[in-house]
Amino acid sequence: MLRRLTPYLFALPLLGFIAVFTYVPIVTSVNLSFREWDFLSPTKPWVGLDNYRLLLDSREFWNALRVSAVFTVISVPIRLGLALLIATRLMRETGVSRVIRGALFLPSVTSTVAIGVVFSWVFSTDWGMMNGLLQLLGLGKVPWMQDPQLALGVLIFVNTWKQLGYDIIIYLAGLQAIPTELYDAASVDGGRRFHVFRRITVPLVMPTTYFLLVVSVIDAFQVFTIVDVMTHGGPAGATDMLVNMLYRVGFTLFDIGLGSALAVLLFIILIALALLKSRVIGRRVHYEA
Amino acid sequence: MKPDTIDTATAVPVIPDLGALALAAGLLFLSPVLYSIWMSFQTTDAYYGGTVDFTFRNYQVAFGQYNFARYLLNSVIVSGAVTLIGLAVATMAAFAFARYDFPGGNLMFAAVVATLMIPSHITLIPNYLTLARAGLLDTYSGLILPAISNGFAAFFLRQYIRGIPRALDEAAYMDGANALQVLWRVIVPISKPAILSMGLYIFIGEWNNYIWPLVAIGREDMYTLQVGLARLYRINPGEDVIDWPLVMAASTITILPVLLGFFLVERHLVRGIMMGAVK
Repeated sequence: MLRRLTPYLFALPLLGFIAVFTYVPIVTSVNLSFREWDFLSPTKPWVGLDNYRLLLDSREFWNALRVSAVFTVISVPIRLGLALLIATRLMRETGVSRVIRGALFLPSVTSTVAIGVVFSWVFSTDWGMMNGLLQLLGLGKVPWMQDPQLALGVLIFVNTWKQLGYDIIIYLAGLQAIPTELYDAASVDGGRRFHVFRRITVPLVMPTTYFLLVVSVIDAFQVFTIVDVMTHGGPAGATDMLVNMLYRVGFTLFDIGLGSALAVLLFIILIALALLKSRVIGRRVHYEA
Repeated sequence: MKPDTIDTATAVPVIPDLGALALAAGLLFLSPVLYSIWMSFQTTDAYYGGTVDFTFRNYQVAFGQYNFARYLLNSVIVSGAVTLIGLAVATMAAFAFARYDFPGGNLMFAAVVATLMIPSHITLIPNYLTLARAGLLDTYSGLILPAISNGFAAFFLRQYIRGIPRALDEAAYMDGANALQVLWRVIVPISKPAILSMGLYIFIGEWNNYIWPLVAIGREDMYTLQVGLARLYRINPGEDVIDWPLVMAASTITILPVLLGFFLVERHLVRGIMMGAVK
């Protein structure tokens, strides 16, 4: 009897935590999204789809969705493209490539808040490193964080700077799985470098690319920390993304119903993206690492 | 990494290594962080005056006046507890899923793996409510408990344990060991590299966690480093009045433990990511 219970006893602690802090909360969120509540009042009246209607009619939500989408669409290809290019050049196990790998990898394990603070200084108008460099070159000061488009660009830059090393490590793992003979054959044929990269490296590393695509798109849609530290969604909403709006609505405006509805919509968007991509992955991947 | 790594590598198009230039590129990449550390040892007057004046005062102010010693302690306690409890819970579950065929087992494993796809932000408001109801806001438990379940660690360790020959378990059982002893004396020692990698990830992830402490903590003396740093930075948000050297000292305090650890365990970290990526 005890023998039969053994696996349950081992699995139970983890499942208990997952149930209480992941699965029950999903149900709670859906429930709260149909109600009106401010954390304090004793009743939570049912308001049906009002919260969703309110969101879908608000300019704020569409702005946040658009900014999140723009951030994702610009930052993900930059991250993956740069990472693949750099990874192919860091394959060799030399001391130098190890130093560079370490330098590139370091930001991905470093505090995002600290990175946000440091880059707030880098891009500050009067005392920042960027404008300091520009002045050395005889150019004028740029108001990086005050210009709507530049501010979003800065966030994309900082996010790329932080995540690049992680992408590179994943690509290195993928590149090492490519059979050597393919490159030997290509070099016997006198394949030029770019040709080899385009015809062999890029297609064969596709499974890794799809993996990174899933991870980085989901990541990009959930960006919060650098936005909260660096711009607070400003100037004029230009960097206001979905999770930022969620935090503001839930924890500074205390509109639990609306915040929950936003969380549910974010959840649906991300699950849809993940499912869409796993179908695409299923169809397109022809080489298993 | 496989032994044929080097062969593969030389076959891939590589630009010639440019030694010093490459090193310079790495330093340039890290220059904002390196400069911020340097800046943290400057007096404020010297920084704004464009002169050099070395001082530890910013650290004294951050640790003393701004309570960063307390935030550091809070971060160590919370990250340490999350790592230890999280590893224990994940290893036990991984053992169950790797070694037992039991009714509902597949469903439970699916429920664990599915958490990898679930965006954590949907749990933010409900978890806040749960902890408020339990009276655990502003406590260590409130920071620790929601962070403990780690679907990825359980999944990763299960894959690893499945690679360990069952004959080892069976030999131990023959000697009269029970399941817990098999896990502790056979599986855990063999799985040490995997458990270590996961432990590092959990620790770093928790150390850098920001949104949950931001939500769950209101009392200043319960801040973690991340929340403390963000607040310090925002005390004076106007461009000209920020005490950058002080802020950079606080930022360095926040980065340094992971930075130092990074140089000791970089290999384990990289190996951990690679093992996770090539499933």
